[in-house]
Amino acid sequence: MTLLIPLIPLLPLIGFVLTGLFGRAFPNEIHRVAVGSVVISWLIAMVVVVGALAHIGIDASGAGVKLWTWIPALGFTADFGLFVDPLTACLLIVVTTIGMLVHFYSIGYMAHDRGRWRFFAYLNLFMFSMLLLVLANDFLLVFAGWELVGLCSYLLIGFWYKRPVAATAAKKAFLVNRVGDMGFALGIMAIWTQLGTLNMQEVFARFSSVPGEWQVAIALLIFCGAVGKSAQFPLHVWLPDAMEGPTPVSALIHAATMVNAGVYLIARCNPIFGAVPGVMVVVAAIGIFTAILAASIAFTQTDIKRVLAYSTLSQLGYMFASLGVGAWTAAIFHLMSHGFFKGLLFLDSGSVIHGMSDEQDMRKMGGLAKKMPTTYWTMLVGAVAISGVPPLAGFFSKDEVLAGAFKDGFLWVWAVGFLVAGMTAFYMFRLMGMTFWGPSHVDPEVEHHIHESPPSMTRPLILLAIPSIFLGMLIGFPPDSGLIHQWLAPVFEATIAAHGPSEAAYSLFGIDGALMIATTALVAVAIVVAWRLFGVSIPSLNLHAEPRPDRVRELAERPGLAELYTGSSHKWWFDDINDFLFVRWGSRLAAAVWWFDRVVVDGTVNGVGAVTVEAGTLLRRVQTGRVQNYALGIAIGLIAMAAGYLFISVR
Amino acid sequence: MPVGDSIPFTSIRWEDLLFLGLSAMLLGSAILVVTLRDIIRCGIALMASFAALAGIYLLLGNPIVAATQVLVYIGAISVLILFAVMLTQTKNAPGRLVFQTQAWAAAVAAVVVAVIIIAAILATTWPATIEPVATATSKVGQLLFHDYVLPFEVVSVMLTMAVVGAVYLARREPDTREEDQL
Amino acid sequence: MSHSLDAYLILSALLFAIGTFGFLARRNAISMLMSIELMINAVNLTIVAFGAFVARLQLHAAVIALLVIAVAAAEATVGLGIIMAIFRNRKTPLVDEYDSMRQ
Repeated sequence: MTLLIPLIPLLPLIGFVLTGLFGRAFPNEIHRVAVGSVVISWLIAMVVVVGALAHIGIDASGAGVKLWTWIPALGFTADFGLFVDPLTACLLIVVTTIGMLVHFYSIGYMAHDRGRWRFFAYLNLFMFSMLLLVLANDFLLVFAGWELVGLCSYLLIGFWYKRPVAATAAKKAFLVNRVGDMGFALGIMAIWTQLGTLNMQEVFARFSSVPGEWQVAIALLIFCGAVGKSAQFPLHVWLPDAMEGPTPVSALIHAATMVNAGVYLIARCNPIFGAVPGVMVVVAAIGIFTAILAASIAFTQTDIKRVLAYSTLSQLGYMFASLGVGAWTAAIFHLMSHGFFKGLLFLDSGSVIHGMSDEQDMRKMGGLAKKMPTTYWTMLVGAVAISGVPPLAGFFSKDEVLAGAFKDGFLWVWAVGFLVAGMTAFYMFRLMGMTFWGPSHVDPEVEHHIHESPPSMTRPLILLAIPSIFLGMLIGFPPDSGLIHQWLAPVFEATIAAHGPSEAAYSLFGIDGALMIATTALVAVAIVVAWRLFGVSIPSLNLHAEPRPDRVRELAERPGLAELYTGSSHKWWFDDINDFLFVRWGSRLAAAVWWFDRVVVDGTVNGVGAVTVEAGTLLRRVQTGRVQNYALGIAIGLIAMAAGYLFISVR
Repeated sequence: MPVGDSIPFTSIRWEDLLFLGLSAMLLGSAILVVTLRDIIRCGIALMASFAALAGIYLLLGNPIVAATQVLVYIGAISVLILFAVMLTQTKNAPGRLVFQTQAWAAAVAAVVVAVIIIAAILATTWPATIEPVATATSKVGQLLFHDYVLPFEVVSVMLTMAVVGAVYLARREPDTREEDQL
Repeated sequence: MSHSLDAYLILSALLFAIGTFGFLARRNAISMLMSIELMINAVNLTIVAFGAFVARLQLHAAVIALLVIAVAAAEATVGLGIIMAIFRNRKTPLVDEYDSMRQ
């Protein structure tokens, strides 16, 4: 069983190499290689997942396989080792399944793009990197995967590099990620200085021997890396701009997998974080603040992908809040369900954009339900799932997060999360109303060739809709003792037993049932309000309401709400603050440094160079190139030697 | 009447007179070689100096080397040089300067070389006989084909290689038109 | 005078110095080659002179002188071949116009 593990990341790597090498020669066929390698990788991953979760060949504490010693420096060794335990298995399910479906989807989505082979090469490289990150058993190797997914993200956001917006967004994502990665790198160095090893199992086993202040520092630095990669406040600004990349990329990297890396990292490092409750509070605070911040921005965005991007931020905030309050399992559960339904929503939005001839502005959509039925129905499933309507996936996972916060004593987290649940439902149905229901605002030019996407795109949608509906019931029911809890118990039980607050057992008619009902009621209200404002039209349920743009405008201009509206639509000015702080002042600082570099450093270097050149110019006149001048030199030398010898022998 | 060892009425020996005459001829023609403007005349002066040197070899009692000097230098090398002169001289070349810009420096260097060597010669006490002893040609022949047979063969091979090399260097580039005709 | 080794050696030294001057001062490549021949002859004169005045060296000196003449012939052949090749490329026999070693 352990022999299969290295194959999982290896196959996409082979796919990447082949696609990259031969893509230019076979631009129309090479995607078969890319997709094929991912499908085989998925099959193997499923075997490993079953093994890890059912404890066939891999016991509950996980199984590692050391491939070779990566860096055998004296006093410092880093192994190239992979490790699979139930937590990894959960991530493998999400990464390989969604990765494979996105590969299928991309065949149709990128069909008209001349750079399709390049796209598939990058996707395969991403799959390799992400799987390496998830499977690695050494902090340095995790960091390698961490940086590689960042690189793939950069390459794929900037895939249409001829568009300046895309190139800028790619740079922004890369730079903002660097800030977080710097913290992660420092954290790894701190771990090594304190423990002298980077092997994860050893680090976790011996972490309690680290001095208290170093424990806090290490946890904060690792969290810093997670904040960057998972786009939490204050490093959240890159993710919305990352939507400039092709939509399959948004679905795979910026919704379902890469942005979850931060959540995975903290969950994986649960022995570290469990030991420092203070840092846990920070994690929870940052997470829940990001959740409400992003949800409030999503209210007013008009670009369909940006709404989903802010929604992703918000849901990631949920996961961090869940980690922070100690509800580890709930966080991973939400990660899985979110991966599926957010991947679905993004692919749906891609389908809409594809059908609308690359139009992303929701104000120019409307009434698409009849024209794109498959897209519409699957997107409705996604929206219902994310809103938390029972019994779909989002309901169970979100409920566990909120219940965890409530029962672990973080009432403020629960209160904000509760509000965000309502906001989520509202903006998702705003999106549905503006896009699929209500009258059409489509440009007449585009109107007549709106079309449903090809089957290669709609099939992945249907396949993703299935887990969006059933995943929660399958692994999350009954709450607190569902399959996911049985799976992940071995990973987290030690930490929870040692540090975590003890939860009260689940009871349907006690506090859990009350919370569930309250949340569901709020969600229902929010959905109805959204229907009233932005319209709805579901004939099979006999639901119908016209959109009321006049009332939306009136609400937006009402005193008190107007300021909120403006703030939301300007994304709370975060880009402007960054621009002022880092771009303006940063460029002044850079200009000063540049002046120093130019005048002092370059001056010295150029001075040395100039002296050398001048000396050479003077000396080169000696070299006339005439044989006889050289011969005269030889003669003079011989004369000097002979005379010297004569002088010595005579004396 | 037999001619005496010395010139009549003087104590100067005939051999000394011959030596002085040949030396003057040798040095004079050598100076002409390095100073004449016309390169053909240089070549002829070179032949004269070779001839004078052959005479000096005879004076030293070494007829075989003298004969070789005449055969190889005057007969072969001088002719070779004259052919090279004919093949290389352009019409405007003799009109130009004979000497390099560094001629004065070269003259000084040459004088210094001469002074140093002469100083070294005069400062050394040579284990020499009073007068030159004639060399028997037959013994030279035996030595050459007996003890020195290997160097002799090596030199012959080297000469062959030199000929091949010189032909390679001096040959004209193959003419493409001729190849076309073939 | 003709019975003095020093006289022959001094004659040789003067001849060698003249050759040196010619080699260093003449512009024409063939003149330089002639100067080299003069220097080789000077050396040969030394060898023969030693052979005549030093009994131990007598026969050997003659053999060596013959070999030197042969080698000088080879040298002249190759040297002239080189001069021909350069002349064909540069269209001039003047050595100070060969300045491709200058950069």
